Amino acid sequence: MIKTEKILHLKSCRGRKVRVVREHYLREKVPCYSALCQADCENDGKVLPADLTHYVVPDVGVVVDYLEILEFRELQGVVFTQTACQAVQHAKGRRQYNRLRGLLKDPRHDCVLFANEFQEFSYVQRERGESLEEWQTRCVYSAAVWYRNHLAGLMDVVMITEDQETVSRYSSLNSGVYVISVQDFLLNFWPDLQAAHDLYSSISQVLQEKKESENSQKEFSEHLPAEVLEAGIKSGRYIKGALNVSKHRAQSEASITATEGLSEKNKDLSGGVFISGVKNRNRAVHGDVVVVELLPKSEWRGRAMGLSEGQGEEKGGVEENQSQPLPTGRVVGILQRNWRDYVVTFPPRDGSQSQSRNSQRILVVPWDHRIPKIRISTQQADTLQDHRVVVRIDSWEISSLYPNGHSVRVLGRAGELETEVQTILIENCIHVPPFSDAQLREMPPNSPEKPWAMDPDQVAQRRDLRETHLVFSIDPQGCEDVDDTLSVRRIAGGKLLELGVHIADVTHFVREGSLTDLEARSRATTYYLADRRFDMLPAVLSAELCSLLGGVDRYAMSVLWELDSQTLAVTRVWFGRTVIRSSYQLHYELAQALLNGEPVRVPELTALTSEERDAKLAQLTEALETLTHVARHLRAQRDRGGALELEGVEVRAQLDHEKNITALVPRQPLEVHETVAECMIYANHWVALKIQETFPHQTLLRCHPQPRDEFFSQLVESAMAGGFSIDTRTNKALADSLDRAVDPQDPLVNRLLRMMATAAMSEALYFSTGLLSQDQFYHYGLALDRYTHFTSPIRRYADIIVHRLLAAAIAAAEGEEPGKSLAGHKELDEMAQHINNKNRAAKRAQKLSTELFQNLFFKERDPQTDPHCVADAIIYAIRDNGVLAFVPEYGLKAPVYLKNREGQVISVGPDGGCDWQSGSVRRSSDHISTTSTCGSSTFRLFAHITVRISVRSNHFHADSLNLEIISNKPHSSAEPEKPRPQGRSQLVQEVVRLAEEASQQAQEEAARRPRVSREEREYRQSKSPNLYSLLEEVRELALLDLETAAAAAAQVCATTA
Amino acid sequence: MGNVVQSEARGAVRFSSVEVCGNMAGLELLSDQGYRLDGRKATELRKVQARMGVFAQADGSAYLEQGNTKALAVVYGPHEMRGSRSRTRHDQAVINCQYSMATFSTAERKRRPHGDRKSTEMSLHLKQTFEAAVMTQLYPRSQIDIYVKILQSDGGNYSVCVNAATLAVIDAGIPMRDYVCACTVGFVDETPLADLCYAEESGGVSSLALALLPRGGQIALLQMDARLHQDHLETLIEAAMTACKGVSKVLDEVVRQHLQESSVLSGE
Repeated sequence: MIKTEKILHLKSCRGRKVRVVREHYLREKVPCYSALCQADCENDGKVLPADLTHYVVPDVGVVVDYLEILEFRELQGVVFTQTACQAVQHAKGRRQYNRLRGLLKDPRHDCVLFANEFQEFSYVQRERGESLEEWQTRCVYSAAVWYRNHLAGLMDVVMITEDQETVSRYSSLNSGVYVISVQDFLLNFWPDLQAAHDLYSSISQVLQEKKESENSQKEFSEHLPAEVLEAGIKSGRYIKGALNVSKHRAQSEASITATEGLSEKNKDLSGGVFISGVKNRNRAVHGDVVVVELLPKSEWRGRAMGLSEGQGEEKGGVEENQSQPLPTGRVVGILQRNWRDYVVTFPPRDGSQSQSRNSQRILVVPWDHRIPKIRISTQQADTLQDHRVVVRIDSWEISSLYPNGHSVRVLGRAGELETEVQTILIENCIHVPPFSDAQLREMPPNSPEKPWAMDPDQVAQRRDLRETHLVFSIDPQGCEDVDDTLSVRRIAGGKLLELGVHIADVTHFVREGSLTDLEARSRATTYYLADRRFDMLPAVLSAELCSLLGGVDRYAMSVLWELDSQTLAVTRVWFGRTVIRSSYQLHYELAQALLNGEPVRVPELTALTSEERDAKLAQLTEALETLTHVARHLRAQRDRGGALELEGVEVRAQLDHEKNITALVPRQPLEVHETVAECMIYANHWVALKIQETFPHQTLLRCHPQPRDEFFSQLVESAMAGGFSIDTRTNKALADSLDRAVDPQDPLVNRLLRMMATAAMSEALYFSTGLLSQDQFYHYGLALDRYTHFTSPIRRYADIIVHRLLAAAIAAAEGEEPGKSLAGHKELDEMAQHINNKNRAAKRAQKLSTELFQNLFFKERDPQTDPHCVADAIIYAIRDNGVLAFVPEYGLKAPVYLKNREGQVISVGPDGGCDWQSGSVRRSSDHISTTSTCGSSTFRLFAHITVRISVRSNHFHADSLNLEIISNKPHSSAEPEKPRPQGRSQLVQEVVRLAEEASQQAQEEAARRPRVSREEREYRQSKSPNLYSLLEEVRELALLDLETAAAAAAQVCATTA
Repeated sequence: MGNVVQSEARGAVRFSSVEVCGNMAGLELLSDQGYRLDGRKATELRKVQARMGVFAQADGSAYLEQGNTKALAVVYGPHEMRGSRSRTRHDQAVINCQYSMATFSTAERKRRPHGDRKSTEMSLHLKQTFEAAVMTQLYPRSQIDIYVKILQSDGGNYSVCVNAATLAVIDAGIPMRDYVCACTVGFVDETPLADLCYAEESGGVSSLALALLPRGGQIALLQMDARLHQDHLETLIEAAMTACKGVSKVLDEVVRQHLQESSVLSGE
């Protein structure tokens, strides 16, 4: 490489005008990344194909304003110039720039970056007096010409621009290099790409209007410049944080969550800073990173304490009760916009729509309550009435009450199932297109005529367990993607037990960096919605080649422990790649039946004679019993360490053939679930130990931080009202006190308390070990010092990473040099963040879709007549004008109002029936009472009431369920759950004290297992309701309820202060 | 490692534009394609140009440009001790260094009085570097003065001073163990960047300055005052040594060319 010449740039920095002279080196060889290259450029990475009709070079203005159009995968052969990329960085900020970078890195997009300013012949110097824009255009044009010449005229180059002057100036200079406008380009080359055309007109309209609107009237105060903010944050004058808008009072309440350094500097701000009203929020949108200035103490406000009914629609009126004033601030600047795609609904045309001078501008209402209305301009307003549309926000002018946006695509009519499901996906930033052909081509061939077979070389390299070990899997019924199998046997004359966990060897099929791998990485997890799922890996892998099905040979990644058969202490561990053949593919109910000694039919054994069958059955049952024994021991070990048993509510909608909902079924665990879960936790734990030991600074682990004390306040308070004391100092103390808090009359109380404890938990997270110090690796919920995810590589990307790490660790232990360098700490950290985000999104989408189906279930029923709509509920929290109730039958939590908008309150008649009367509500810590003309009535915490469930439809947002109290007595048909004698006493020694009632419910559940519909069989996967997945799911719910927890915390502060 | 070849310098093109203003903190020091801000790759040095014997009245002198950093070095000596005689060493020469920056060397004109902390420290570093390289034992009871002035500053001041002073010492005919070559390296995105310019130095990079006697591979001075993970130190030093060796090639060429020219002039 030769440095040819040096050219000086002159720059001046913001503020004072300082001349900075920079060198600029040019070189002859700059890779062109084209397959047509004649000059042997060093093209590694993405290369533009040779079989295109033209390459596209977008002008600076096009890249800055119309990047979204260039994001269409249909557009091929796009050459981004360095000039344009830098312009994006300057004009649009880091977020947009990162988006462009992501585009360039993504192998699915056919576009490359050309460093035109470093190429000797494509670089042009800026001339005296030449404006920046002119120079940039000249640069891009010269790059386009260079491409044409570099490829020896084999490819036509099209430069697209928005500037007509450029078109007229350059279009006739060179043959083969065409300069045309974006519109012409789309019309000529992509006449069929309707989506791009729509997007183009939508964006250009926005730009047009931006030019026109030079309104002087200011609605908000100006944001401060970046340096002032930076300095302010450093000096402690301002506070930086992510804006979190209240879900229930989006109009008036928001807060910023404390970020690093804040709590140290200022103790009373550890709970965040409250921001009251839209004015103080100053154009920040939920999720933005903002800078806040504290207001003087006299202007501090408190949160409203009552339950809000109308989602913040009501304005003014009665002054509501407020909590103690919180530290309150106002937004002075925005560091980072975190705008994403929003789903909005077009309002129906009723004339009341405020239309400012231009009839094409419309205020649309986002689906997410926390996002303000968005003003968009479109010509399709009439046709799009009542439709849900994806919208992006462009800007928020200081003169406008609402942000401006443009529409991207139409999802469909509001209220239809498909539209709603799409809405859920987009609102959670989940993007799951079907797998592309290129990705599917990477899959090993497997067809009925030519089934996939194992490679003898591979078999030779692996440990063969097919003959020696009895391997079996336990999964939900009808499961397709079996990623974990178990084995257990006695060795060394019965002195030792060998426990084995065999996990599908996904990394054998998914090579690092392949298209499948990249797709899996960007999905990060399989998404389960109530009625469908989106796989992380193509079906040929997830359901066939990786799935450890019964009776076929499969590759596996195994962990084998040798345990002392008496003390169950580990004497040796072996990790490695193996070949296995699963003998039995059991499901949970079957395994439990085998354990209980009930006569069952094992499908694998039906062909055998009865003696053979009995022998095999005895062998299997013995293995299962041993496994249960070991699992109990492991559980006991963890219990001593303080593992928590938590309670989650999960409801599954049962669908029939037409996708109508027949019932809502809460899911509950069996004991064998726990056994399997325990083995998986153990495997995860040991793998975590192994890889962390080998790669101390670049391992992906999972930690669960200790929850913050203030989140427990609701739990402690509620428990106190019920007469229990909860000790939250350590996880051990918490687990013990939760076990003690049992109301013999009402098992639900304990369940509720556990649910509240779960809600208080912080979220378990993946992290790179280089990031945290060793004492932060602790998993609070499981009481383990190291934990990771290893056992479900088919549906989680984190497990794939861990598999690769483990493989590298095994290779390192054998003295081999790792073939490819592993992901560095920084890369791993980014990956962990990405996976955490995606997991969060997946959980949220799952919860939303369950709610969607819940709503559909109740929507079809008439609340006045249908018996399904009347249910038993239990009060678990008290608010100013109502209570929060939990309906165990459907597993739903919702507010129940005791006072309605007209000021009427519930009054209880002599028979327990309730009706609305005028009166007042008084609230104390453990009960709430209403007084009306007919006397007063009291509702205590943990009291059972009967509620009627109805759906409150909402045109713009998701529907929500409404609970109406109809009686203060328990619902008559709700069968009281009596403690049952347990069938476990005859089982082997009881080492562990297990929560009484989990097993009770398990027994009950086993008794009334719902019939499995076709849909379920088709879609159900090994997403087993076992304990540890439950733990995590529930934690997600906890995250969503953080707001209520925070509100509760604030409330406590208020009462104690 | 890229070869460094000299070529004619182009004049600076000046724009009085205000538009090209970038947020200094947000600069991307190493692009995804591996280019740095000024178009160099990670291991490439800036262009080095040098002339020896620029002043006649001094014993030795040199002018060196490394990119936009320009330095003038002048050597007097060895001569007998001046000033306080108490510093005299009976077995070796004393090296006296003085570093200064011109008032016009940075973007803002600023008076720079002698003896401020920064230049004192720099003088001390230079002194240590040359004590390790010059064969001082040949000149007992004498003194060698090295004066270096930065005429234009664009990052890597220390290394440019060392390189310039080396040439000046050679010009003065003072025996040295080897050329002393210095270079700064920085650490960005797990990659060592050779020969930092000012924009890179001020962009929050942990940088390391290293002076090397390239033939033996001995380190004359190593200085780093930023935070860096211990694991990365070795790669960083490795990169610095490679860069120094690159510099030494250029200096060697300069010296040979100078010799040729002067021998032609003296008619030999």
